[in-house]
Amino acid sequence: MAAPMELFCWSGGWGLPSVDLDSLATYARFTGAPLKVHKISNPWRSPSGTLPALRTSHGEVISVPHKIITHLRKEKFNADYDLSARQGADTLAFVSLLEEKLLPVLIHTFWIDAKNYVEVTRKWYAEAMPFPLNFFLPGRMQRQHMERLQLLCGEHRPEHEEELEKELYQDARECLTLLSQRLGSQKFFFGDAPASLDAFVFSYLALLLQVKLPSGKLQAHLRGLHNLCAYCTHILSLYFPWDGAEVPPPRQTPVSPETEEEPYRRRTQVLSVLAGLAAMVGYALLSGIVSVQRATPARTPGTGALGMAEGDEEE
Amino acid sequence: MCNLPIKVVCRANAEYMSPSGKVPFIHVGNQVVSELGPIVQFVKAKGHSLSDGLDEVQKAEMKAYMELVNNMLLTAELYLQWCDEATVGEITHARYGSPYPWPLNRILAYQKQWEVKRKMKAIGWGKKTLDQVLEDVDQCCQALSQRLGTQPYFFNKQPTELDALVFGHLYTILTTQLTNDELSEKVKNYSNLLAFCRRIEQHYFEDRAKGSSSIRLS
Repeated sequence: MAAPMELFCWSGGWGLPSVDLDSLATYARFTGAPLKVHKISNPWRSPSGTLPALRTSHGEVISVPHKIITHLRKEKFNADYDLSARQGADTLAFVSLLEEKLLPVLIHTFWIDAKNYVEVTRKWYAEAMPFPLNFFLPGRMQRQHMERLQLLCGEHRPEHEEELEKELYQDARECLTLLSQRLGSQKFFFGDAPASLDAFVFSYLALLLQVKLPSGKLQAHLRGLHNLCAYCTHILSLYFPWDGAEVPPPRQTPVSPETEEEPYRRRTQVLSVLAGLAAMVGYALLSGIVSVQRATPARTPGTGALGMAEGDEEE
Repeated sequence: MCNLPIKVVCRANAEYMSPSGKVPFIHVGNQVVSELGPIVQFVKAKGHSLSDGLDEVQKAEMKAYMELVNNMLLTAELYLQWCDEATVGEITHARYGSPYPWPLNRILAYQKQWEVKRKMKAIGWGKKTLDQVLEDVDQCCQALSQRLGTQPYFFNKQPTELDALVFGHLYTILTTQLTNDELSEKVKNYSNLLAFCRRIEQHYFEDRAKGSSSIRLS
C-alpha cells in the first residue's frame, strides 16, 4: 500500500490550528482525507521549500494550493460532491470575490500595516523560526507580499496611498457584509454539510477573528457581523477541537515558543561562548602574552591570566 | 442599458488619461470616473440604477459573479494577448503600437508586455500553459451558463450590471480575430450564453451592429 499523504503547513499560533491562510488543512478535515499533518515552522524543511506542501502517496510533491485541492478531489476526497451545478457555480464566484476583495486587505493588515507587522506577525514568525532564518525570512516574506499587493492593486502612487487604503478597506467591509447576507442563518453556506467554499471562507475569517491585532479596523467590523462569528467558532469547535485545546491561552504563549527555541538558544549560547573563548585564547597565544611552558607550572598560568587581563584592558 | 446618452471616443493614451490608470473611464462635465465599479456608483448617485429590484442575497451573488468574470475572463484575455507568443507577435504588438511612430511603438509594446507578465506572475498565472488557461475559461463559462439557465438575463427579466459585464467580455471574445480561435470556441460551446449575447446585441446595439462586426455562428 502506498504511504499516506503528508501535508506540511505552518504551525499553529494565536489560538488557530495554522497561522497561514491554509484552507487546505481545513478542506482535508472536511472531507475526512487520511492526511498526516506536519506542523513546522521552518519552510526550508518542507519537501518543496515553501509552505504549504503536500507529499502524495506516490511521493510527488505539490505546493500550489489550488493544485493540492484538485489532487485531493482526484483521490475522491471531495466535499463538493453533493452540490448542485448551480451551487458549484456559486462557489467559484464567491471564491473569486474573496480573492479579489478580502485577500489584499488581509495581506495589508498582517504584513504592511506597520503596527500589526512589528507587534504581531514578525514577532510570531521570528520566534517560531530557527536561528539563522529568523533574521531575514520574515523580511523577505514581507517584501514578497508587498510586491504582490502592489501588483494586485495597480499603480501605487504615494500621495494616493491613504485613499487606496480607505478604498481597499471599504471593499473588504462590503465583502464581509455580502458574505454575511449570503450565509443568513444557515449553518454552512450550502445547507448542513460543509463544502470547499466553507473551507475558504473559514480560513480567511478565522485569521481575522482570532488574532489580537493592535490596529484591527476590519476586525471590529467583522465582530459586528454575528452570524459570521458564530459560524467561525462553530467550525473551530467542530473540526479542530484538539488543536484548540493544544494551543495554550495567550498568557502562556510567550512561554511555549521559548521552550521550543530552548535547544536552539542553548546551542547558540554555547556556540558563542566557545567562539569567544577560542578567539581570546588564540589572540593571547599569537601575540605572545601567554606562552605554554612545561617548567614552573605554578607561576605561568598566573602570569598568563594577568597577561590576558592586561591584553583585554588594552583593547 | 440605462438609456443614458453617451459618446464613445477612442484614444491611444486612454490609460494615461484615466485617474487610476485603467480603462474604461467616463468624462462627465468636470468629473472623471474610471473603472466599472465606480462608474456604476456614480451613475447610481445620479439616480439611474439597474439593480434596484434585487434583494440582498441576489446583490451578493451578483457582486460575486462580477468578480468571477473579472478574475477569470479578464485575466485570460490579458494572458492570451500578452503571454501567448503567437498572438503577441502577430497581433498585439502591431495593434498596441499602431498609433505611434517607430521606435516608440516597439518600446511601449514591450513595456506593457513586461508589466502584464509581472502581474501574471504575482497572481500565480505566470506558470500556466495555454491549455490550463483555456480550461479555466471553460470552467468560468460553465458556471455562468449554469447560473443563466434558461432565463433571458441573469436575474429575472431585467438586465443588471452583471449582464452588461458578461456581455462585454463575451462579445469581445467572440468577435475579435486572433491567431487561434480556441477561446471563442470554448464560449460557443454554451448555447445559452450565445443566445444571451445575441439578444443583448439585438436589443441594445441594433443601429450600430449594422455596420460593424456582429456575432458569427460558424
